[in-house]
Amino acid sequence: MSEQPLQGSIITSQLIASIATRTTLETPGVLRLEPAIQGFLARLAPAALQNLRSPGSQHGTYRHNGVTATISDGTARVHLEIATDIAYTALQVAETVRQRVRESISHTGLTPGTIDVTIVAVEPHRGATML
Amino acid sequence: MALEDIPRLGCGRSIDRIWATIDRLPTAHEEHCEQCQTARTRLQRLGEATRLLCESDLHDPALKPRPGIENAIMDVARAEVRRGSSILLRSADSGTTEISEQALSSLIRVAAAAIPGVHSRRCRIEIRSATASPAGEDHPSGTTRTATNAGPRLIVNLWVAAAQGIVIPRTMEALRQEIGNALPAGVGIGAGTVNITVEDLYDV
Repeated sequence: MSEQPLQGSIITSQLIASIATRTTLETPGVLRLEPAIQGFLARLAPAALQNLRSPGSQHGTYRHNGVTATISDGTARVHLEIATDIAYTALQVAETVRQRVRESISHTGLTPGTIDVTIVAVEPHRGATML
Repeated sequence: MALEDIPRLGCGRSIDRIWATIDRLPTAHEEHCEQCQTARTRLQRLGEATRLLCESDLHDPALKPRPGIENAIMDVARAEVRRGSSILLRSADSGTTEISEQALSSLIRVAAAAIPGVHSRRCRIEIRSATASPAGEDHPSGTTRTATNAGPRLIVNLWVAAAQGIVIPRTMEALRQEIGNALPAGVGIGAGTVNITVEDLYDV
């Protein structure tokens, strides 16, 4: 008789934000996530951020460039601020992002909560030619 | 007993105060107080050294910002502007979708740029819905206006300058049609009402 080892894992809001970021940027029609002051400072001087944010926790909120992730009672909620390509329909892009992020979150074992999307810009893709 | 931490000279003046006014002319007291004069002389040397250090830092290549830092700052600044007020496009149990007024305005400007003889100026967007929930109900901050699940009805108010010599009614109708096509294609919602005001003429 073999004993089955118990495996545990901790999913933090920082990890959820990271998953949401990657999933969003891989969605066709998304140009970028909108930069925030926190993300800028992280690049400039990581130490300066210590007073501005708390690290992602299992029961906390984590904010980084255009992504806010919150975990509460096993449910992960995400707010995304995106810029979309003018060649795509922004509302459809937002809906696709929402579905993909929900699916990605469900793979972590957490329950996907609300995925709110704000379209902050609709722009031509750099390098694209406007007719 | 409370102890005072501020270092003071024998005459009672705080060193901090002398340092704070080191660039100014000495006061009447400082002109006659030997201790203040000594302190000022020493602090002036420190002040000069500090000034030289600041000058040196300004021209130190090692302290120059990395390339792209200015662009990064501007990206953040523009994003903060774009985050302004937003309009709720869709609400469901799975989450909401909002769009910033800036995004809609820029889309309308792009559409206007496609019409020869028209320069867009101000653009203001309102949202109306017969069954809209009261504004601010979902967003107590008051920065977001709301519509219903049925979809928002936009009222676009655009002020333009027209080129002299164009037929204004026909051109404005073409502009209205362009905006009417751009919003469903770019955002996925109808343009609703498009009010255009020609407020100026310009020479071609």
